[in-house]
Amino acid sequence: MNREHLRSLFTTKSARVDTNKGEEYYNSLYKRCRARLDELKKITPMRNIDIAQVLEDEGISRRDFLKWASATTAMLMLPASFTPLVAEAAELMNRIPVIWIELQDCAGNSEAFIRADGPKVDEIILEIISLEFHETLMAPAGHQAEAQLHDAVEHFRGKYLLFVEGAIPVGRGREWCTIGASGETFEEHLTKLANDAAAIVAVGTCATFGGVPAAAPNPTGAVGVMDVVNNKPIINIPACPANPANMVGVILHYVLTGQIPELDSLLRPKFAFGYRIHDNCERRAHFDAGEFVEEWGDEGAKNNFCLYKMGCKGPMTFNNCSIVRYNESVNWPIGAGHGCIGCSEPGFWDKYAYERPMADANIKMAPNGGVEKSVDQFGLALLTAAGVGIAIHAAASAIGGKKEGEEK
Amino acid sequence: MRVELLEKIEGEAFLDMECERGRIQNIYVRFPHYRGIEEILRSRPALDALVINPRICGICGHAHLIATAMVLEKVSGIVPTQKAKKIREITRFCEIVQNHLKWFYLVIFVQLGLPFDMDRVQRIIREINKLLAIFGGQWPHSSYALPGGVTCDPTQLEILQASHIAQSLQREFGLLFGDFDIKNLQKDLKKLFDKLNRLDVLHLGKGYDRFIVFGSDGYVQNAKLLHGKIRPARLEYVKEQEQPKSFAKRVTYKGKFYETGPLARTMIRGGTFVKRLHRRYKDSLTTRIFARIYEAAQLLQNIKNNLSTLDLSQESAIEASLQDGKASIAIEAARGSLIHTVEIENQRIKNYSIVTPTQWNLSNGSKDNLSLIQKALVGAPCTHTDLIFRTFDICSVCTTH
Repeated sequence: MNREHLRSLFTTKSARVDTNKGEEYYNSLYKRCRARLDELKKITPMRNIDIAQVLEDEGISRRDFLKWASATTAMLMLPASFTPLVAEAAELMNRIPVIWIELQDCAGNSEAFIRADGPKVDEIILEIISLEFHETLMAPAGHQAEAQLHDAVEHFRGKYLLFVEGAIPVGRGREWCTIGASGETFEEHLTKLANDAAAIVAVGTCATFGGVPAAAPNPTGAVGVMDVVNNKPIINIPACPANPANMVGVILHYVLTGQIPELDSLLRPKFAFGYRIHDNCERRAHFDAGEFVEEWGDEGAKNNFCLYKMGCKGPMTFNNCSIVRYNESVNWPIGAGHGCIGCSEPGFWDKYAYERPMADANIKMAPNGGVEKSVDQFGLALLTAAGVGIAIHAAASAIGGKKEGEEK
Repeated sequence: MRVELLEKIEGEAFLDMECERGRIQNIYVRFPHYRGIEEILRSRPALDALVINPRICGICGHAHLIATAMVLEKVSGIVPTQKAKKIREITRFCEIVQNHLKWFYLVIFVQLGLPFDMDRVQRIIREINKLLAIFGGQWPHSSYALPGGVTCDPTQLEILQASHIAQSLQREFGLLFGDFDIKNLQKDLKKLFDKLNRLDVLHLGKGYDRFIVFGSDGYVQNAKLLHGKIRPARLEYVKEQEQPKSFAKRVTYKGKFYETGPLARTMIRGGTFVKRLHRRYKDSLTTRIFARIYEAAQLLQNIKNNLSTLDLSQESAIEASLQDGKASIAIEAARGSLIHTVEIENQRIKNYSIVTPTQWNLSNGSKDNLSLIQKALVGAPCTHTDLIFRTFDICSVCTTH
């Protein structure tokens, strides 16, 4: 079964996010989750950690923790009644072993991960999940580290979640990257670890779609995990870097349900990638009103107008940045006045990597044209006929006495 | 011949070592990972570099972003406002500070088996990144700088928010390190010094005592320090060569190997703390480690100064039309001087060349001209190879790019 075929299996319907699946569905899901958590509780964790104690030590109240749990429940698109289950799942995270490997990467996702946000979720991450192996974060190195990886695989055969950061070079003789003293290639390394994993989480755009190393002319023949591994469930969490909230979300979902979350045609969890940046953008009102930044540093920029004409790829990019934001939600790229570069879309490094609006680019709309077409008619009309749309806006601003002669 | 594997350096490196009677006789460093960023950049529209380059490195990607904006500006003769420059400095310094802290604890303390307050360190790192994100949108991999300036247009409110964070960080630093007083080391500095003393490694890891800084900013000025004399460091004398069996290139200045990074910067900048350490321990691992953490504290002060002197009435970004041409710039990143050189023809990149700090520190030399890392290691006890290596805060992803 090749990838194209797989993709065709998840077609138009897959992009639809069903946020309300009905009482019956949630009731049975609730029961299944309950049973799963009870089952997990029986497992003796590798390290015995009492989350209540950890939180108390850190001065985090139960109330703060539950607040976090309810926010996460909402992020996972579950009804509020699941909040206690999510909280419980968080406490049971140390039952699920995680192995994290870095391939052709820049460590950006690890960096994002270790400062995962939310009120003190880093504690939950660092102390509660059972990160059995992470070559950058852990203490041993060299041969010792290899031994530890081997042990972790042996001990948790078939049970661990394998997090992969970085692309896999499969081009020209495969001499591009090797790992460990044995000098095995990244491809061999990944295939070996994937064979014994319960599921694989590809983190960041490199591991999902090849990312920047795969940019034309793709010197090393870099590809994503789903191009190499075909015998395991794969969850893609693209974006450069991937949002830590989504990584935590996937682990939590797995703990809670024992299953991987619902995915779209590109194997991305729908709870995070069901909507476009554009759908929930804080500057959306300016788009609808036709108020655009026309030039860096102009009046529009000072007034936080829409960045579409400056090349924002928000309308083509599926991700939840506009809701979750970054670095403890303090800001996100559009908040800092720069358009979205579409870093979670396949091929962004070649298709979207420039500071120009889409009108000049001759790029097709994102597959399925967005999620809720009806609310989006105005935007879509403008985008599909982008050249016309921009021309109209440009003319309007010229008539309005704004800058002219700038549009090329 | 022994092949050692060095991990936990954001990638890995191979060390081909010869050990005799417990001492290192010879060493050769190889980097086995490659992505081909320079090849990827070739023939792309010039502005694409703003998206590709920060992704060279998830640790110092911000320095790459600012360097890219600066080199494109230099090609076209664009000079951004003071405000834009200062904001770029603030965010770049933030990246350096959090990098140094992470290295100090997650690498050095862990390596030495010293206990530390992980939660406090995590909290500080999170806060610094928050400060950065106020201006840069996110960290890692922000995209807010471009030729002509920055895209953010902070108001007084954001400045207040940022200053508040900087203020509280200084307090936290005080709690971790006390005053940087060489005669009376406190807290974690003392813990570290005592441990190094017990291990009897204080004098290990000496290099050539030659330092180079190519960048110039509010913190340090371009200079090279050789035999106690300070002279300007000029980019035209930098030479990059392929090395056998490794994806990293060798880099020299007029045929000589120099050390770059926090030790170089603090030596050139002066200041009693590091000067005194240097007097006693020369450019050993002790001075190198302490210089890095001292620099982090200094940079916090620079961030505060920049915040208090920002003139918000200036433009964030000025008009920038890109021209063809060739230019080279240098900027100070966490691990030292980062050099970007670009040649643009018909608005497209004809050539893009990047020299990263770790290339300076971890090149391989020859028998009669040892590189910096070889100089630091040859003759040292084989048991301390790892420690000496890590004091250079190696980053392999950047080095091979």
